[in-house]
Amino acid sequence: MERDEFTLVRDMLRAFATRFRSGSADDVKAQTRTDAQRALDELGLSGLRRTSPPAATVQECALLAEEHGRQPLTTSLLGTALLAPELLRLLDLGERAEPVHGDRPTVALAGDLRFPDRDAVGLVAWDCDGADTALFVHAEGRVTEHELGTPAPTADLLRGVRRASAEGRPVGRLTPGAHQRWQAYALVVVASELVGAARSFVEQSVDYARERHQYGQPIGSFQAVQHQLADATVLVEACTSATRYAAWCLDSETPGRALTAARVAKAEVNSSAVEAVYAGMQVFGGIAQTWEHVAHLYLRRVLVGATTLATTADLLTVLAAPEATR
Amino acid sequence: MDFELTEDQETIRKAVAGLLRDFDDRYWMEKDRDHAFPEEFYAAVADGGWLGITIPEEYGGHGLGITEATLLLEEVARSGGGMNAASAIHMSIFGMHPVVVHGSDELKRRTLPRIARGDLHVCFGVTEPGAGLDTTSITTYARRAGDHYVVSGRKVWISKALESEKILLLTRTAKRDEVEKPTDGMTLFLTDLDRDRVDIRPIPKMGRNAVSSNEVFIDDLRVPVEDRVGEEGQGFRYLLDGLNPERMLIAAEALGIGRVALDRAVRYGREREVFGRPIGMNQGIQFPLADALAHLDAAELVLRKATWLYDQGRPCGREANTAKYLCADAGFTAADRALQTHGGMGYSEEYPVARFFREARLMLIAPVSQEMVLNYLGSHTLGLPRSY
Ligand SMILES: Cc1cc2nc3c(=O)[nH]c(=O)nc-3n(C[C@H](O)[C@H](O)[C@H](O)COP(=O)(O)OP(=O)(O)OC[C@H]3O[C@@H](n4cnc5c(N)ncnc54)[C@H](O)[C@@H]3O)c2cc1C
Repeated sequence: MERDEFTLVRDMLRAFATRFRSGSADDVKAQTRTDAQRALDELGLSGLRRTSPPAATVQECALLAEEHGRQPLTTSLLGTALLAPELLRLLDLGERAEPVHGDRPTVALAGDLRFPDRDAVGLVAWDCDGADTALFVHAEGRVTEHELGTPAPTADLLRGVRRASAEGRPVGRLTPGAHQRWQAYALVVVASELVGAARSFVEQSVDYARERHQYGQPIGSFQAVQHQLADATVLVEACTSATRYAAWCLDSETPGRALTAARVAKAEVNSSAVEAVYAGMQVFGGIAQTWEHVAHLYLRRVLVGATTLATTADLLTVLAAPEATR
Repeated sequence: MDFELTEDQETIRKAVAGLLRDFDDRYWMEKDRDHAFPEEFYAAVADGGWLGITIPEEYGGHGLGITEATLLLEEVARSGGGMNAASAIHMSIFGMHPVVVHGSDELKRRTLPRIARGDLHVCFGVTEPGAGLDTTSITTYARRAGDHYVVSGRKVWISKALESEKILLLTRTAKRDEVEKPTDGMTLFLTDLDRDRVDIRPIPKMGRNAVSSNEVFIDDLRVPVEDRVGEEGQGFRYLLDGLNPERMLIAAEALGIGRVALDRAVRYGREREVFGRPIGMNQGIQFPLADALAHLDAAELVLRKATWLYDQGRPCGREANTAKYLCADAGFTAADRALQTHGGMGYSEEYPVARFFREARLMLIAPVSQEMVLNYLGSHTLGLPRSY
């Protein structure tokens, strides 16, 4: 995209996010979810990665995912606008067997929200607000389309997750290169949203440290508070850099290298984003322990996010293996 | 529950602290710098009658327990002597344990009173280039030839070998692949380090330089059968008896270093003024030191529990390992924070904290690494499958 064009898209998303953010867990209701999703769909972002060459780079999509992560939002930007369209685009490059039935698919994951292994069971449709079907990439690259079922339990109060039908219609098969690219892209997009969440939450806690007074002075004047926030900022910068670099790799490098960079990024995010949100919560003190406060919405997002697609243990194990066998 | 030290234990602490007051920072700085064994310190401890603290009374010692021994070594490290001081006497304090328990009466009469008096220096030879934590893979071999053994092999890291007359030496009398269990076939000797048959070369190292650690090349060393500790083939088991107390002693030494490092940091934090006020007024300085204090205090409690259990004759593997783990960690962290508190001066040898830092680092590795402690707790205490 041209720079101006991208800025425009990002500003639109930012304005949307400010308008539809959940101010507290009690704001999360069926009607508000539907309204928010409709408003997001109207921005037309699902076209960004649907064509080849795509209208937006991975780096641009990653920045949009970060932007979306900054606010507590129930909407599916990742599943329906960034991930499923890219999957269909990658399929078009390989063996695309059948057309999909859904108008607006999202993606399906193994029941534990990770990339599936060979005998994955209990599929779930992930990030499925506004979605009508879900596309599932099997361990060996085959892709099937699944019907959505009842809501599935999740600790992330914002994210829509439903059970998906066990049997799926065949859609096609990813080539090995496209499969690597798919995994890398999914890791980067999910990691980016968590980066946005951690960055925004730390910024909010910095603001709070300026406003909140104890012992006649802002709590941010206490070094112990300052240092925690400085450490948290370092963590946020670390996971931001790793994730943006992985996005750049997807635009510029081979799928294998991009996948390695994406795994590094997700592993970094899994620990840094969680640590940063912990630090922010400590600074908010007691108020962050209340149901009304947004802190737990962020905490839930990063905690569940850290186990989504790939856990740190999954990632470190592959990263420790010799490159040829990954 | 009773957290009070007994009157005798309190006396030990005070007496040792008093005895060592004259060995100041300059003394230890110079010994460390010159790689010189602290003879004067050693003589003072020996003359005070402290070396035989755990040696049975019938062999000229005091026959006290591990609680007293740990208090002694903690105080020694805490005096500012750190590991230079502790290592100079460590082997005398408890290292003879396998001999006390399993040695022949003749061997004990020949050696223990001299240890207690201080005129016999002994080192401990276990580690080899190919056998660090995995002790049963040692290859130093003792071949029986009539009334003596002939020993050849190579040891590494042997502390104080340079200064020692004798070595408590672990060997194999049967190769690892000839025995049923890898722990079988190992034999322990307490014998002379005959310089004609043994070549000793100090290893240049990062700290604790007043006491050497050495490569020891043993070439056909003749060892009389009388120098064997206990029975042939049982050496590993004899060492195992001493493992828990060894961990506690090391823990005590780490604790002592941590305490003295923290004391120095607090003193500096009060005295040093930057931006018009004492640096200790900053939370960024004060909190890490307060945190170090809390960790040292917690680690000390586990150590006290471990030594109490041992002296009661109760099982103490869990506590001994935990004490080593926590004290080594707390001691090093305190030394690290003390160095940071001193700013640039922390890096200079003018203040002792750099020395404490270098010495405190050692206990995270030797005689048993933090990782091996976790292996112990993971498999023995938690009952998880052994990982190696
Ligand atoms: C200053 C100094 C003085 C010493 N004095 C003496 C002495 O007087 N007498 C003597 O006999 N020895 C002495 N030693 C040796 C000391 O006991 C060994 O260094 C120690 O046992 C570690 O062995 P290693 O160095 O061979 O490490 P290795 O056994 O090679 O271990 C290397 C690393 O691998 C890790 N590791 C190994 N196995 C495992 C496992 N199964 N699971 C997880 N991690 C593992 C260790 O924790 C460590 O981090 C001394 C050492 C030093 C540095």
